[in-house]
Amino acid sequence: MPPSSKPEHAAISAISEPAVVRWLLIAAAVLFLGIFLLFPLGVVFGTALQKGFAFYFHTFRDPDTISAIRLTLIAAGIAVPLNLIFGVSAAWLIGKFQFVGKGLLITLIDLPFSVSPVVSGLIYVLLFGLQGVLGPWFIDHDIRIVFAVPGIVLATIFVTFPFIARELLPMMQAQGNDEEEAALTLGASGWQTFRKVTLPNVKWALLYGVILCNARAMGEFGAVSVVSGHIRGLTDTMPLHVEILYNDYQFVAAFAVASLLALLALATLAIKSIVEWKSGRRLKDEPLYGRGAQA
Amino acid sequence: MSIKVRDITKKFGRFTALEQVSLDINDGQLVALLGPSGCGKTTLLRIIAGLEFPDCGSIQFDGRDITDQTARERQVGFVFQHYALFRHLTVFENVAFGLRVRPRAARSNDSEIRAKVKELLALIQLENQAQRYPSQLSGGQRQRVALARALAVQPKVLLLDEPFGALDAKVRLELRRWLRRLHDEVHITSVFVTHDQEEALEVADRVAVMNRGQIEQVGSPDEVYDSPATPFVFDFLGSVNIFHGRVESAGVEAGTVKLSGPGHEHAFSRTQIATYVRPHELEIKRERNGDSSSVPATVVQVHKVGPLVRVELRGEDTKDIIRAEISRAVFQELALQPGDRVFVKALTERRFESDSPR
Repeated sequence: MPPSSKPEHAAISAISEPAVVRWLLIAAAVLFLGIFLLFPLGVVFGTALQKGFAFYFHTFRDPDTISAIRLTLIAAGIAVPLNLIFGVSAAWLIGKFQFVGKGLLITLIDLPFSVSPVVSGLIYVLLFGLQGVLGPWFIDHDIRIVFAVPGIVLATIFVTFPFIARELLPMMQAQGNDEEEAALTLGASGWQTFRKVTLPNVKWALLYGVILCNARAMGEFGAVSVVSGHIRGLTDTMPLHVEILYNDYQFVAAFAVASLLALLALATLAIKSIVEWKSGRRLKDEPLYGRGAQA
Repeated sequence: MSIKVRDITKKFGRFTALEQVSLDINDGQLVALLGPSGCGKTTLLRIIAGLEFPDCGSIQFDGRDITDQTARERQVGFVFQHYALFRHLTVFENVAFGLRVRPRAARSNDSEIRAKVKELLALIQLENQAQRYPSQLSGGQRQRVALARALAVQPKVLLLDEPFGALDAKVRLELRRWLRRLHDEVHITSVFVTHDQEEALEVADRVAVMNRGQIEQVGSPDEVYDSPATPFVFDFLGSVNIFHGRVESAGVEAGTVKLSGPGHEHAFSRTQIATYVRPHELEIKRERNGDSSSVPATVVQVHKVGPLVRVELRGEDTKDIIRAEISRAVFQELALQPGDRVFVKALTERRFESDSPR
């Protein structure tokens, strides 16, 4: 590039591309977004409302649909709080303490990310199924796990297990132990330190993790599909119910339920953006805080 | 409260941070732990605080063994290098933290806490910033809040880890004088860690110079500066010229110049000797005037630094670089130019036996 006569202009243009390239890239991105995201979203809502609002809302009065929605809420309602407790403790342990086997624990937390959801579901069938390792004992005691609600909850917990820990971990590691140590020297107990110092410092990351965890818990298909057994009105979650309705050629009803999941996704995105904006603003407030001038 | 450190050893994996360190700190003293980075000074401070535990050795507060007590039980005030203020709390709540986390029985009521915090904010001159967050304060203000927060719980010992390390030069100077004044008012036994010799010499009652996990010398600032016990202490407390030579029965041969004077009579013959001279203790003259202890040298470079002039010379015999510091007035009188031939004489010097000539 020839040297520009205006240095300040050169500084800007040195890292940007010619207008044509910029517009081409933007157009490509918008086109991609349109074809793969906006258009399908439009189709979902378009099809769902094909027969008008009355029919749309009528779909949700179907007992099987209501039961699917309820089951999804139950599964998420159990999985998210449990993973909240687990995620916070794991991130706290890994982020603030040194111990043997730390690397192994991090790998284990990531396991559900790297294993196919179908395999995750299969694990529970192999464990608690009729021919499973623990299955016969539970069946003898009249406790059904696979092809019943507990199996769905277990599979959901497993699949959503890394979300909160993974969100918190980098933040806790970056913040270090200084504030906790300060709290201890000021006479705070371990629990006071956690509640008054550690937790407030990661609250936005925590909320973010919970949102992602919840979205995945409600949307999970693969793992849940394996352990569900697809018993209508009993072990169908929303994503499974969409598939069943679709296979029954009830397109409008299928898309109506799907539109609920799409709405959930949109709401998640909205909350996520708000959280990011909020926490980003906080970070911008303290650009040099503490770590700026390491000696 | 007095602190006794006895034979503390601490290892991190294969690295020995502290080896058999002992140190006595009297009640009400302000002591500096001075040394280069990695010498173990911060580790020693953290062990005194109870944030780190020694592999062996013991710590006593007022003669009571507290080696196994946690930081919480020891009731020390600790000021961190990077302040470690609670970023989600206001200045007021930061200072109040230690008072609010007390067990219910020992806790003051809210109005007492408010009064106490206000008093401390007045002490650090930040009454008007009480509702601000740490991120809205300057470095010096943050450090003062950290200090007030530590003092709020009325600790028996105040420990400061590189308290001024992250501040710019001017604020450092102000804040360390302020700390000295504060200590003169409050009289709390204090230990601070620093790698800045000037800071240690100016602020502390006593200085412990550390190197490689051990304490090389403990003494008043004058003692460690005027009579350094080891070459390391001499070197670390300021810049230095080192002349190497051999003892030839009754006179030190440094280069070809005989540096005579007391202090080397008992040295064994043919021992390798290093002579240490500080740059400001060198005198530069135009003429030798028959003084056999001065060394001929050539001016290489001249740097004017404020009121001082640093002159770099090359000894004619050894070809070693000699650094001298003279006042601007003397410099103007001598009218030195690079290339000038002059004579350099050590006004005071100190000798250490060295194992190998360099």
